[in-house]
Amino acid sequence: MTFSKPQRPTFILAAAAVILGGSVVARAQSPGSTVWSGVYTDEQADRGKAAYAANCASCHGDTLAGIDVAPPLTGAGFLNNWNGTSAGDLFNRIKTTMPLNAPATLSGRTVADIEAFIFKANGFPAGQVALPPAPPMMANMKIVSQKPAN
Amino acid sequence: MEREPKSAMFEISRRRMLGETAAMVALAGAGPFKAFAATAPGASSLPDTEWRHYAADQASTRYSPLDQINADNFSDLEIAWSFKTDALGARKEYQFEATPLLVKGRLYLAAGSRRDCIALDAASGELLWMHRLDEGQRALNSPRQLSGHGVSYWTDGTKERILYVTTGYRLVSLDAATGIPDPDFGTNGIVDLKLDFDQQLDPDTADVGLHATPLIARDTVVVGAAHAAGDVPAVRRNVKGYVRGFDVRTGKRKWIFHTIPRKGEFGYDSWLNGDADEAGNGGVWAEMSADEELGLVYVPVELPTGDEMGMFRRGNALFGETLVALDIETGKRRWHYQLVHHGLWDRDIPCAPILCDIPVDGKLVKALAQPTKQAFLYVLNRETGKPIWPIVERKVEAGDVPGEWYAPTQPFPTKPPAYDVQGVTIDDLIDFTPALRAKAVELVKNYKIGPLYTPPVVSKPGRWGTIISPGIQGGTNWPGGCYDPETHTVFVYSKNQPGVIGIIPNTNMTVSQFPQVHGISGEEPRPQVAMGSETNGAPPPRRPAPAPAAAAGPPPGFLAVDGLPLLKPPYGRITAIDLTKGDLKWQIAHGETPDNVRNHPALKGLKIPRTGRPGNLGPLVTKTLVICGEAGFYTNEYGVRGAMLRAYDKATGEEKGAVYMPAPQSGSPMTYRLRGKQYIVVAIGGGNYSAELVAFRLPGAA
Repeated sequence: MTFSKPQRPTFILAAAAVILGGSVVARAQSPGSTVWSGVYTDEQADRGKAAYAANCASCHGDTLAGIDVAPPLTGAGFLNNWNGTSAGDLFNRIKTTMPLNAPATLSGRTVADIEAFIFKANGFPAGQVALPPAPPMMANMKIVSQKPAN
Repeated sequence: MEREPKSAMFEISRRRMLGETAAMVALAGAGPFKAFAATAPGASSLPDTEWRHYAADQASTRYSPLDQINADNFSDLEIAWSFKTDALGARKEYQFEATPLLVKGRLYLAAGSRRDCIALDAASGELLWMHRLDEGQRALNSPRQLSGHGVSYWTDGTKERILYVTTGYRLVSLDAATGIPDPDFGTNGIVDLKLDFDQQLDPDTADVGLHATPLIARDTVVVGAAHAAGDVPAVRRNVKGYVRGFDVRTGKRKWIFHTIPRKGEFGYDSWLNGDADEAGNGGVWAEMSADEELGLVYVPVELPTGDEMGMFRRGNALFGETLVALDIETGKRRWHYQLVHHGLWDRDIPCAPILCDIPVDGKLVKALAQPTKQAFLYVLNRETGKPIWPIVERKVEAGDVPGEWYAPTQPFPTKPPAYDVQGVTIDDLIDFTPALRAKAVELVKNYKIGPLYTPPVVSKPGRWGTIISPGIQGGTNWPGGCYDPETHTVFVYSKNQPGVIGIIPNTNMTVSQFPQVHGISGEEPRPQVAMGSETNGAPPPRRPAPAPAAAAGPPPGFLAVDGLPLLKPPYGRITAIDLTKGDLKWQIAHGETPDNVRNHPALKGLKIPRTGRPGNLGPLVTKTLVICGEAGFYTNEYGVRGAMLRAYDKATGEEKGAVYMPAPQSGSPMTYRLRGKQYIVVAIGGGNYSAELVAFRLPGAA
């Protein structure tokens, strides 16, 4: 996982950089940020697309629309169910329960990639910093269904 | 597994609850508390009530005459106790569909990601015992994961048993007092349902499981079968979903009914070219009902293999999407009624028919009412299978899928009217603003639309498929409806969430043995092994799913207009259907308007009436109220996520009260009176909120 150069560094989250194995100083998410502020990278979402096809699509569908026994991962159904939670909540749900026939087998990195793909499919913008591979670092990334006014 | 500790109070109250049954004596032994039973503190003159079946009774009415909780006090309800299922199974569950049984002060249900069978104290929620089978890979391969709908109870007045079907498709019989398997049943309390099934199966990998509860009537346990979804069926010759009856005492098979008839059996001739020989599926994954007096069990059958493709099940193909009445003792067919001929819309009959005695021309008739995904309520005489009101055959359109066979007509009930939107017209499209309507009109130009039973078509750019409404998940799904015997009224929840059926060619036999499968043009067909089983060998190479275009509107197959639902609300509703007349009595949007509609910038300043929310919900009916939790989350006026449990006047549909729950209703509510207090118990969970059983009661001394 690589980090591009920060555009407007607010403060340095050294721990995150160490854990992620990165040596480049990354712009951190400020407390209270949302998924509308660019919390994943395009490159990550592309990796996530492939991981989704391999691990998720057989139940949740190519269009992420879900089936009888698998909820939608995009659109109103998804946004309403996750509105007001954090990216970490969604990460935990995926990491601990999915895929159903082999739960908890996906690496944190792959889960983060898949989550990035889901965010992209829901129209949340890409940014400069990748979604981290562990939920404690996403606690402040709120999933909100509507783009904040500012 | 453990035996519950016995406190003096507990025993005293139990004694009063249970009365002098032999079971009680066996359970409590020669306890020292009998003398105190009559003077138990707080004793109420009102007898305890029970809930011995998944939907209250074998008729599947989900009705209770209780009225302590009523219109005046519903909003005062408080949480009496709650039970998290996180510790059951190796991980948390988020899809908790159970309705518990209540027998003699104990709740029995299946719970947790491993589907453990548990007993709880109905007054406190305390865990009394737990039974689990760790089935390893066999369970992971099952097409029905997680805890399922619940368990069944049986007694002969002495013995008491709890029966359930495990994730790996085993039928287990437990002593209701202890949770210990009954050594007289099957092998050490277990019958392997993958054996003695009139077909050779690999017990570890065969595509069969079950979420439904076994149905017990007249000492016979009736067990259905469920399979992986059949949009892209891996194989043509899948497991056949036969239904079987077992002796409840021994577990010995009494009968089997071939839902896909064998050569020489009734119904075989409704298949062309002997297609029945090879076709699989045709299971009974829904709940069932039974009339012990008539000696009949009512069995809702799903489609044979291919949910939207029928090229290998040509003909009307009995007993696909057919309601079948079987003799409980022998499994012999008494009558059947096919609701959809050669279905191409995945209209599996999803829930139990409700047995009801209704006045017809001044005479009480033994009838049944079958809610469906297609939002028709089919009302039949349950002795004969004859419609109460005429059901007429109407011509329907044929599609263009190579090799497909099309039924020329479909049955349409003349009464009662459909209880949700059927088919799609321009008039059904979103109309909050003219701009949104215009966008919706543009969107549907890329699809085929039409009335109910408009056929699926070959998917191609610019005509990606057929929009069907209700969508593949209904309408009404597995929770079914409820029935008020006092007013002969059915109450049913349904959702209005259209879906797309496009058909795409497939040449990769490792993905599917079907030459045409459900999909959207541009996609590579991918194996459908949901929910669990592995494909044989390495997965075939395939390209990733097409990238949903984030900015350029929804991708093909995704029905949304600026993120809003394509069709007009209500998105979820409850309908009351008067069976004395065959008319709709009232209809209300069920569920607060979802966040993305309430907060949508395009709708700013508009006054939008409550839209309801889509999901799978089962209502409960009491003396005065229809009670149902909401589907999905919303954010309330305090900024808190959750869902409401709502109560409506059953006569008018007027909302009488609501109480907050931290997560949506995921299993249908039930109710009982225990020590003078009425409880409502409901399973909730979803999103980031793991499964929880919640019991409500009115404030006051416990």
